[in-house]
Amino acid sequence: MRPVTFTPEEKDLRLAFLLVLLAGAIFYTYVAFVDLSFMTRSGRLGPGFFPRIVGVAGVFFVGWTILEALRDRQALLVDQAGQRWSDAVLLIALAIGYAVLLRLFGGFPATVVYLALALSILNRGRYLQNGILALAIPSGVYLLFDQFLNANMPPALFDLTF
Amino acid sequence: MDIFSDLIMGLSIAITPINLVYLLLGAAIGMIVGVIPGFGPSAGLAILLPMTFGMDPIGAIMLLAAIYYGAMYGGTITSILLNTPGESATVASTFDGFPLAKNGRAGPALVMQAVASFVGGTVGVILITLLAPMFAQVSRSFGPPEYFLLALMGMLTLIVMIGENWRLGIISALIGFALGTVGVDLETGQGRYTFGSAELIGGIYFIPIAIGLFGLGELFYAFYQGLHRFGTGGIVNYENEDRFWPTRMDWISTRMTMARNSVLGFVVGVIPGAGATIASLMAYSTERSLSKTPENFGKGEMAGLVAPETANNAASSGAMIPLLTLGIPGSASTAVLLAAFLLWGLRPGPLFMEQNPELAWGLIASMYLGNMALLTISIFAIPLFVQIIKVPYRILGPTVIVVCALGTFSVNASFIELYIMFAAGIVGFFMRLYGFSAAALVLALVLGPLAEEALRQTLTISRGSFMIFVERPASVWIILVTLMLVVMLPLLNRIGKKAQMVKKLDAG
Amino acid sequence: MTIQFEPTHWLPSSTVAALSACAIALSAPVMAQEAYPSTDETLDWTIAFGPGGGNDIMARTIIDILTKYDLYPGDVSAENRAGGSGAVGWGYLYGQDGDPYGISTTSGSFVTTPLQADTPWQPEDFTPVALLATDDLVLVVNGDSEIQNIDEFIAMAKAEPMNIGGTGTVNVDFIVPTLFAEKAGFEFDYVSFNSMADQTTALLSGALDAMVGNPGEILGLIDAGELRPLVFSGQSTPDALGDTPTMGDVGFDIGVSMPRGLILPPNVPEAAQEWWIGTMQKVVDTPEWAEYIASNTLTPTVIYGEDFRTFLGQTKTNFESVLKSVGAIE
Repeated sequence: MRPVTFTPEEKDLRLAFLLVLLAGAIFYTYVAFVDLSFMTRSGRLGPGFFPRIVGVAGVFFVGWTILEALRDRQALLVDQAGQRWSDAVLLIALAIGYAVLLRLFGGFPATVVYLALALSILNRGRYLQNGILALAIPSGVYLLFDQFLNANMPPALFDLTF
Repeated sequence: MDIFSDLIMGLSIAITPINLVYLLLGAAIGMIVGVIPGFGPSAGLAILLPMTFGMDPIGAIMLLAAIYYGAMYGGTITSILLNTPGESATVASTFDGFPLAKNGRAGPALVMQAVASFVGGTVGVILITLLAPMFAQVSRSFGPPEYFLLALMGMLTLIVMIGENWRLGIISALIGFALGTVGVDLETGQGRYTFGSAELIGGIYFIPIAIGLFGLGELFYAFYQGLHRFGTGGIVNYENEDRFWPTRMDWISTRMTMARNSVLGFVVGVIPGAGATIASLMAYSTERSLSKTPENFGKGEMAGLVAPETANNAASSGAMIPLLTLGIPGSASTAVLLAAFLLWGLRPGPLFMEQNPELAWGLIASMYLGNMALLTISIFAIPLFVQIIKVPYRILGPTVIVVCALGTFSVNASFIELYIMFAAGIVGFFMRLYGFSAAALVLALVLGPLAEEALRQTLTISRGSFMIFVERPASVWIILVTLMLVVMLPLLNRIGKKAQMVKKLDAG
Repeated sequence: MTIQFEPTHWLPSSTVAALSACAIALSAPVMAQEAYPSTDETLDWTIAFGPGGGNDIMARTIIDILTKYDLYPGDVSAENRAGGSGAVGWGYLYGQDGDPYGISTTSGSFVTTPLQADTPWQPEDFTPVALLATDDLVLVVNGDSEIQNIDEFIAMAKAEPMNIGGTGTVNVDFIVPTLFAEKAGFEFDYVSFNSMADQTTALLSGALDAMVGNPGEILGLIDAGELRPLVFSGQSTPDALGDTPTMGDVGFDIGVSMPRGLILPPNVPEAAQEWWIGTMQKVVDTPEWAEYIASNTLTPTVIYGEDFRTFLGQTKTNFESVLKSVGAIE
C-alpha cells in the first residue's frame, strides 16, 4: 500500500461525486426551509429545526470541500495499488442487475441466474464449479430462509395480482 | 442466602433434558440467525416467535432467550470477516474487528470476540442475580432529558470516527443526520422528506444502510483494488494467518478491558431504550481514551474489538432487568420477549419475579448455561467460519452480495429497503474511495433521531427551559461522567505519557 | 376490468354471462354462493405486518380457531406482507378486487396510514366483514402522584396545564386525550414517544405527569401500584383495571378507538361477505377468542358488515379533523 494521488480523470469523477452531494444538500435544505417549520405553534422546536441546521451545514461543508478540490488538485491522498475501475464497475453493474432480477423473478430464480452470470465472468472457465455453486448457494439460502427460519424471500413480480 | 436457593431452584428447572435441548437449539439457531447480515436478535426473535406457540412457557422462554443472546454472539462474525454488521450493536465491532482480519488475525479476533461475549454475558447474568432490585432503580430514573444526554455521549464516538480528514468526516455525519430526519416527525406527525410514500413513513431503516455502506461498499472497493485477482484470501490477508489462537499479549492486554466494559455495558443496557448499541459505542470511545496507544484504534487493536463486544453482550443481559423487574422492554429484542410473555398470559411487572419464581429464576439460570454453551459452540464453529475467508474472492464476492440482499429483504419483506441497500453500497464505494467515513454516517443515522426526539420531548416537558438538565439527579450524573470522559481522561493520559517519556529519557 | 381468480370450472360460464350484464348481476352471486367457500381454493390471508406484532397475533388466533373448529373447509395460507405501515399488505388485498379468497385483519394503521401517505386505497373501499374488538387506552399517572382519581386530574389540569405522553402523533394515543381534554375543558402538552416502553420509562422517571397507553403492556405495573389508572377510553372497563371509570362514566364519552376487524378485498360477492359474517359470529363465541380478548385487554366491540364500514368512515373522519386542526396532516 503506497499513497498515490488521483489521476486527473479520477479527480473529475470525485468532483462529480461532490457536485451530486451538493445538489442533494441544496435540495434537502430547500425542502427544510419551504415545507418544514422552524418552530411549532406552541413555540417548541419544530420539525424543520434540525433539518435546517443539518442542511445549511451540509451545503457549507460540501461547498468548502468543492472549493478546496478545485483550488488544490493535489489535495487528496489515498492508499492504493493497481486499482481497476473496470472490475469495480462490473461488480456494481452485476449487483444492480441482481436487484432488477430479484424484483422480476423472485428470490430463487434470480439468484441462480445472477450467480451463473457473475461466476462465468469472474471465475472464468471453471464450468462445473460455477454450475454447482450457482445451484447450491441459492438452494442453501432457500432452505435456510424459507424452510428453516420461515423468513421472507423476494416474491416474483408475476405472482402479484394487479 | 436467598439468592442462591433461588438460583439453585432455577437451575433445577433449567436442567431437564428437554429444556437443555431447547437451550442448545436456541443457542445454535441464534448463532445462525446472528451470522446472516440483516438478521439481528430482534428480527430473528420475531420470525421465530411463532415456533414457540404451544410449548410450555419455561421451555419456550429459555429457547427464545437463547436465540436472543446466541444472535448477539453470532452477529459479530460477519462484522469481523466481511465488515458487514448484522445490526446496530455490532457496528462498533467492525472498527477494529475487520482491520484485525485484514491483518491476518481473523482467528484470534473471532476467538477473542467469543470470549469477550462470554465474559460480558456472564458478568451480566451475575449482576442480574445479585443486584436486580438495585438496577431496577437505575432503569426507572431515565426520562427524555437523560436520553438526550446519553445520545450526546454516544456522539463522542462520532468525533473519533470523523478521523483525520475532518471535513469529509463531518460531511459523512451530516448525511447520516439528514437520512435520520426522513419519516414522520414524531412530535407533530408531519411527514418529512416522505413525498407521500408509505414506505418512508417509518423513516430510513438502519440495517440496509449499514449493510450497503460497510459490506457492499467494502466489496466494491476490494474489486477496485483488484484483490479478487490474487487467488485466495482477497480482501483478508489470509496468507499471514499464522495462528488460530490469540497470543498471550491478547489475553493480558484485554483483561481490564473486559472487566471494565462488562460493567459499563450492563449499566447502559439496564437503561431502557439505550441498549446494546450505545453501550458498544461508549465502550469503544472509553477504551480508546483510556488506551496508551489510541493511535492504533481503527487499525486492528484487539482492545478495540473486545471492548464493544463485551459491552454489547453485557448490555443484552442488562436489558433483561427492566423486562423482569418493571415489565418494560429495554430493546427491540426484549420487546418481542415481552410479547411472548403476554401471549402466555403472564404480566411482567414489579411483582413478576415474586409471582413466577420458577419462570424468572429458570430463565436466569438458563442464561448461565446458555453463555457456556455458546462459548463452546463458538470455539468449535470458528474454524468453520475462518474457512469463509479462504474462499477465493471472485467467488466470495458475488455470494456476499446474495446473502446481503436476501438478508436485507427478509427482515421487512421490503423491496425499497433492498434498493436502499444496493444504493448505499454504491455510495459506500465512492465514500471509501474518496476518504469519507461510512462509520460516521451510520452512527449519525442511529444517534441523530434519538438526540432530536429526546431533546424535543425534553423541551416540551420543561416548556422550553434547559434548566431541566441540571434539576434531575440522573442528568447531572451523566453530565459529570461525560465531562470526565472528555476532559479528565485525555488529560490523565497525556500526563501518563509524559511520565513514561520522562522515564524512558531517564533510562536512556 | 378486474382480474378474478375464481374456481376455474365456472370461468367459461362467467365469460358467457359477461355478454349480458343483467344476467351476470343476478347469476354470479348465486353461483358464488353455491361454490363459496370452495375447497379447491386456498384462502390467501394477508397479514400486513411482520410476525409477532399485534396484527399478526390476531390473524393467527383467528386462523387457529377456524382450523380447530373446522369452520373453514379449504386450506388457509397466511402470508406476512409487511411494509409501509400496512400499505403493502392492504395494497395487495386492494389489488385482489372481487376475489373472495383474499382476506386480511385490520389494526390502527388501517386508518392512519392512508392519512399519512398517498395510498391508492381508503379504509371504506374494502368489503367489511366485522369489527371484532377495539384497542382502547387507559390514562395513568405515576403511583406516587398526589392525583388519586380522574376528577382530581381534571381539576389539576385546569389549574395548570399538564403534559401527557403517548405513542406517536398520528395515532389514537394523541386523538383520545385531545378529544377528552376538549370535552372536559382542560389543556395539556402532548409528548410523543416512539414506543410504549419509552413513555412508561419517562413516566416512572418523573418526567411526565401522565400518559395514555394500551393497558395490556402495563398491567404488571398497575397491579404493583407503580402506575395508577384514572380513566379508560373504551365502552366498558376490562376486569383487570378494577373499578376504573370509563370516559363515558365521567360524562366525557369520545367514541374513538382503534378498530381490529376483518376485511375482504373490494367488490367481493355479497354471498362471501355473508358467509364470513356468519362464520365470525361463531368465532367470537369460542373460549379461545374470549381468552385472546382477555390476555390482550381488548374491548370486545362487535359490529358486522356495512355497520363496520360506517364505523371505519367515522373513525377516519374523527382522526382527520383532529390531525388537521393541529397541522399534522394537510
